[in-house]
Amino acid sequence: VGGHTRGIDFTKLALVDAIDLAVLIEQEASDRYEELADQMELHHSDRVARFFRHMQEIELAHEARLRERRTRLFGNAPRRVRREMIFDIEAPDYDEVRAGMTARAALCAALRAEQKAFAFFDATIPKVGDAEVRELFTELRAEEAEHQAIVERQIQKLGPDADLSTDEFADEPVAH
Amino acid sequence: LNVSSTIPPCQLQAKDFRSDLKPIWCPGCGDFGVLQAIYRALAGVNRPPHEIAFVSGIGCSSRIPGYTTAYGFNSVHGRALPIAQGIKLANPDLLVLVAGGDGDGFSIGGGHVPHAIRRNLDLTYIVMDNQIYGLTKGQLSPTSPKGLKTVTSEYGSLEDPVNPLLYVLAYGAGFVAQGTPADMAGLADMIEEAIKYPGFSFVNVQSPCVTFGEDDQQVKAHRAHMKPLKSLGHDVTNRLAAMDLAQHYGSELHTGVFYRNPNPPPTLDALVRERQGTLNGKAQPRERILDMFIQR
Repeated sequence: VGGHTRGIDFTKLALVDAIDLAVLIEQEASDRYEELADQMELHHSDRVARFFRHMQEIELAHEARLRERRTRLFGNAPRRVRREMIFDIEAPDYDEVRAGMTARAALCAALRAEQKAFAFFDATIPKVGDAEVRELFTELRAEEAEHQAIVERQIQKLGPDADLSTDEFADEPVAH
Repeated sequence: LNVSSTIPPCQLQAKDFRSDLKPIWCPGCGDFGVLQAIYRALAGVNRPPHEIAFVSGIGCSSRIPGYTTAYGFNSVHGRALPIAQGIKLANPDLLVLVAGGDGDGFSIGGGHVPHAIRRNLDLTYIVMDNQIYGLTKGQLSPTSPKGLKTVTSEYGSLEDPVNPLLYVLAYGAGFVAQGTPADMAGLADMIEEAIKYPGFSFVNVQSPCVTFGEDDQQVKAHRAHMKPLKSLGHDVTNRLAAMDLAQHYGSELHTGVFYRNPNPPPTLDALVRERQGTLNGKAQPRERILDMFIQR
């Protein structure tokens, strides 16, 4: 279980490509949170939608920070990695969400997304050939661990779940 | 795909195929993953959206053409294949994709499938098989498992399901595959391969219905139980072996390419072009076409 890549040989990955890859991972996650927020709004789950929008903003901020680093180090050097090379590295899985899901369930979906990203970097680091790329991925893995801790603290803050669970009512698809 | 060279400036990306229309499927629906896989497959094929026609029937999954930037035709229930065939014959240069659900394809439109296969037009047919009529709130569909309790089978279905894989293999489809959104990378690859196959290609996607589907049909269950055909050492050029594996539909979730004809025959669209070339100026002009029948 977890994200996949295709067409990437990590033994030969250069630092510029590694940063571009990290940008794409954050971009994929922010796009997915936006999609999930849209789904939740459509299905009358505004509280969860707001949380997913918040997560989208966080992922966008991560992306911007990595982009800035890329520009500082490599300027406009050509890009060689593509979005089509990554699948759900940090993006929450589509089947994590349900109409009427609780705030706790949404936080748990976000937690599992962070865990997936951690697992990806953890499994990839031993395959990396370039020392600077290894250092970058180690840094990103540590960030994922930090994000996990933040989400876990948020889950702890939630009291007994007052929201309805998805099992307690079914939402109807909304026609436009 | 590889990191060995820079991205060509004209290389299309998955986002180029995403329309502004937001999907209204139930959250958690398998079709979200299928849609992502289609975007990525189309980027891999690298044909611009204006060179693609995407035809569907009726049902949840048949909304897919609207979520892409290709030309779309959300047509009549069960009639996506005849319409797609007409489009392909009228304009063979178009890349024509067809999508729909199991009910659309194997019940209402079931009679069209064999004829699309035997004509062998260069079409790719993607069926999102959720074993239920989801849009109309959970009635038995042609692929519902025997014993399934639904609003139309209160005491459990007494009928054996249609086996879509065996069905299309038996009629001679040149490319047959099965995927699941639990493996989006594998699904994108097989859809891309299906589109590139020169002839009728079929991809059955086990795309769970989160609202009316059973727990053991959901993506999490797929992840736990799917068996990639590659790991079984299956020879994709062996049609009989493919049929043997296809018999496990409903009890095993085999994913990957079941069959790819190693020697694809000419497609109908190619044969029509050839016939047109042979006839050249000798063919009756279109406005005199009825004369041929009157003279006889």
